[in-house]
Amino acid sequence: MEAQDSSIETHDLTVIYNKKPAIWNIDFLLPKGKIIGIMGPNGSGKSTLLKAIMGITEPNIGYSKIFNKPLDEVRDRVSYVPQRQSVDWDFPASVYDVVAMGRFAKLGLLKRLTEEDKHIIKDSLEKVKMAPFANRQISQLSGGQQQRVFLARAIAQRADLYLMDEPFVGVDASTEEAIINLLKSLRDEGKTLVVVHHDLHTAQHYFEWLVMMNTRLVASGPAEEVFNEQVLTDTYGGTLTTLSKVANLLQEKSFPMRHK
Amino acid sequence: MNDFWIITTASLVALNTAILGSFLIMRKMAMIGDAISHAVLPGIVIAYFISNSRASFPILVGAAVSGLVVTALIQFFSKKVKLQNDASIGISYTFLFAIGIILISAFGTNVDLDQECVLYGEIAYVPIDLIYWGNQSIGPRQFWILFSTAIIIVTAVIIGFRKLVLTTFDESFAAALGINIVFWQYYLMASVSLTTVVSFESVGAVLVIAFISGPPATAFLITRSFKQMIMYAIGFGISASILGYYTAVWLNGSIAGAMAAVIGLQFALVFSIVKFRQRSRIQDIPVSGA
Repeated sequence: MEAQDSSIETHDLTVIYNKKPAIWNIDFLLPKGKIIGIMGPNGSGKSTLLKAIMGITEPNIGYSKIFNKPLDEVRDRVSYVPQRQSVDWDFPASVYDVVAMGRFAKLGLLKRLTEEDKHIIKDSLEKVKMAPFANRQISQLSGGQQQRVFLARAIAQRADLYLMDEPFVGVDASTEEAIINLLKSLRDEGKTLVVVHHDLHTAQHYFEWLVMMNTRLVASGPAEEVFNEQVLTDTYGGTLTTLSKVANLLQEKSFPMRHK
Repeated sequence: MNDFWIITTASLVALNTAILGSFLIMRKMAMIGDAISHAVLPGIVIAYFISNSRASFPILVGAAVSGLVVTALIQFFSKKVKLQNDASIGISYTFLFAIGIILISAFGTNVDLDQECVLYGEIAYVPIDLIYWGNQSIGPRQFWILFSTAIIIVTAVIIGFRKLVLTTFDESFAAALGINIVFWQYYLMASVSLTTVVSFESVGAVLVIAFISGPPATAFLITRSFKQMIMYAIGFGISASILGYYTAVWLNGSIAGAMAAVIGLQFALVFSIVKFRQRSRIQDIPVSGA
């Protein structure tokens, strides 16, 4: 695969939190038009990787490109779905209000939503089967419904690349199925979907391309090639890798400081 | 006429603080008002020494500068040092307040500057300090200062409303859209700083905090949208000003104290009604299969 055909390219991407690398030297090219899974154990830097690609966390070393361009030039073609738990769902807003946020980037400071925006918002709600809940308070939603709202907001952005952080966590079976069907239909429209995921059982069925990581990149490739015992051991292997051992030693010796 | 000016002045404070307080409590930063209102002390003292007068303008500038300094310190501790937000607020403002106290006690023993007044204010004096157009009085100085502030705050919030809501609700999504999180944080904090600084002189730091956190918290209990929350908060704030004033007159007590007490009672009342309604709604649901 050449860089110009890639959806995401990262080069030496490294993020260090508190003297410990959260991701280290991540270097890969991801294809376009595929459902791509990013997998690894807890604390392996999956979310940090997405945040570094989206410029939410500034990488200490390295860079990433999207559609072979710097992020700022293609920002309106990318949609980011944060972890559901990262926001306060008691915020006074309706389902409709949250999905409307997907149109904010295209509006200025004061412009009102156009008829087209409103149509897109409604259409996005229908795609996640949340249209009947448009006026519902977000504080009254179940976990699965919250996730659907986040996805509707992403769809409303009408992007070409979607980065989703753990969309399958804490959702009911019917939502999980609805999400995967949605991902497939977006893929069929030619969109690229990058999904942080942690359930090994479903990984093979859901993803066409897999990125396996544990702070470092372990493997990146078509799912059927990457999903083998060797890679799984390297990713999830019981003992710590040398790198994380060194990092832990460094951290223990330094001044103890609490993470937020 | 005195009644009118006191209530109007307090209502302007209520308006500004209700708008900004709604953002602050949803950001879990209501105590930033507390921080700013205490941290302005060293700025006021230094401005007083430099200008050698108690004229409002230098004092306001000094206070505004130290308000921004404490905001920057809090931002630095919580984002760069990764200290918890509440700890960052606590350490920053007590430090600055302490410097203010030292400055007053060391250099200002004969100074006509009273930290009590900074903390508690005296809204009853508002109608005494008038400004004149020619020979004609056009109302208290505090009223005009707060009125101008209200215009600034309302305009600033209308212009920034969408970005402020987005960065409040979902910071990482906002960042992914390319919105400058830090800029909007300071935009909000500068507004809070301005409001606190111009308000404390008339109503005192403690009432400012009551106005920042109380009415928005009460509004939050019954609101369905963020805009509505702001409107309800303004309503609760203004009605607390009116009720508080007449309670104080009736009891012949502290006006600021009565207003803060009414704010507390409003919350207790609304909270009880909401809880009572919830309970009766739960009892209404028929038990299936029973």
